Amino acid sequence: MRVVCVPGALALLPAYASIDDPVAELRRAVEEAVAWLVEPGAPVAVYCTPQSLRLARRLVGNAGGQVHLAEGPPAAVLVIANGSAKQTEKAPGHFDDRAEAFDAALGQALRAGDSAALAAIDESLARELWADVDAFRSLGSDIDLTGADIEVDYDAAPYGVQYWVVRWLCAR
Amino acid sequence: MTLKLGRQEFGDDATLVMAIVNRTPDSFYDKGATWAEDKAFDRVEQVVEEGAEIVDIGGIKAAPGEFIDEEEEKRRVVSFVARVRAAYPDLVISVDTWRAPVGRAVCEAGADLINDAWGGADPALVDAAAEFDAAIVCTHTGGVTPRTRPFRIEYDDVVAAAIADTTAYAERAVAAGVDRRSVVIDPAHDFGKNTFHSLELTRRLDEMVATGWPVLVSLSNKDFVGEALDLPVGERLTGTLAATAVSALHGARIYRVHEVVETRQVVDMVSTILGHRPPQRAIRGLA
Repeated sequence: MRVVCVPGALALLPAYASIDDPVAELRRAVEEAVAWLVEPGAPVAVYCTPQSLRLARRLVGNAGGQVHLAEGPPAAVLVIANGSAKQTEKAPGHFDDRAEAFDAALGQALRAGDSAALAAIDESLARELWADVDAFRSLGSDIDLTGADIEVDYDAAPYGVQYWVVRWLCAR
Repeated sequence: MTLKLGRQEFGDDATLVMAIVNRTPDSFYDKGATWAEDKAFDRVEQVVEEGAEIVDIGGIKAAPGEFIDEEEEKRRVVSFVARVRAAYPDLVISVDTWRAPVGRAVCEAGADLINDAWGGADPALVDAAAEFDAAIVCTHTGGVTPRTRPFRIEYDDVVAAAIADTTAYAERAVAAGVDRRSVVIDPAHDFGKNTFHSLELTRRLDEMVATGWPVLVSLSNKDFVGEALDLPVGERLTGTLAATAVSALHGARIYRVHEVVETRQVVDMVSTILGHRPPQRAIRGLA
């Protein structure tokens, strides 16, 4: 099974396109990872908030797949989630000195395929830090990432919002 | 429709800035600042750097003044066009002239566009454009003689008159062999018009745009701006830019101007508000 996580940045949507793409590098990483995830014509299970469903449909559709919300064991899972939005003074949520440690721990869990740590993300702290982690929590509880081959394609907070693009090729 | 200006083609939603380059000692705004050929060439260099797609080179000021014959007009513009063409192979070069022999000579030297500010006073000008596959600007002057001021001219409907005359001129150009994609119309603010006429043309410019011909506006620092605000030449930029914004909102395609940077910003801002152009770089609230 293949799993990919990307952030829910609205700037990735065509409706919000600029002449000079402010998220060019992120967009490249997202598109490459989703292309790796999607088998043309095949369904992709999506873990995300209702707001991010539009982005999920756009990304999966562009890669030739289709978003599939039904139950059942999927072959491909797209997770739309991201870390805090409070890393800097200019960040959308302004600076919070707890953001760095929160994002560091979350990044560590993603890199290690630590499903238990993901399932246990502190929801109330995440809310305070404007972090969109519900889909990470679901990923942690539903899918065993132990032993997966893991590729971190993007790990940065260019606008004070912590983004990751990660691919997991799971053992089963 | 695609706009073809000599060597260059532009898409439907492209807005173009045409920078005025005077090879005159006496034009109203710059008062001879680029009369010397090297100064005029520096001006070309500057406006190209500022992003102008077109330069409009003129050898005779529009207002009454010293008589400039055909030979002197050619001396002022023909070799200069050749020099600009050599330095800027892709730049759209326009020449502001009403005389067919001058039009022919500048096209031979590399001009792409003949800007006839005087409404077809020389009927053979269209033939010169056709001969060289050049573009032409068809203006409305109400039939006045070149280089005269309006005096007690009235119209039943100035916009209807401008549309009738410019589109008739445009069809005449096409009939003479000018490419249909290379014809531009211009209401010619202040030419054969008082301030009220120019204001009404600005207010109702959408009616000219609706003809389907690409519309050029030449508003820069003109007297209708000056009289609307009671401001002398040199203090009309803000008023010019307001008229520019209204013209952009109505769909004008080409802006003939002294100030390139300010015009480009206004036109781009209006295009962006209209949704014809994306923001340059938007991330606020979207990260």
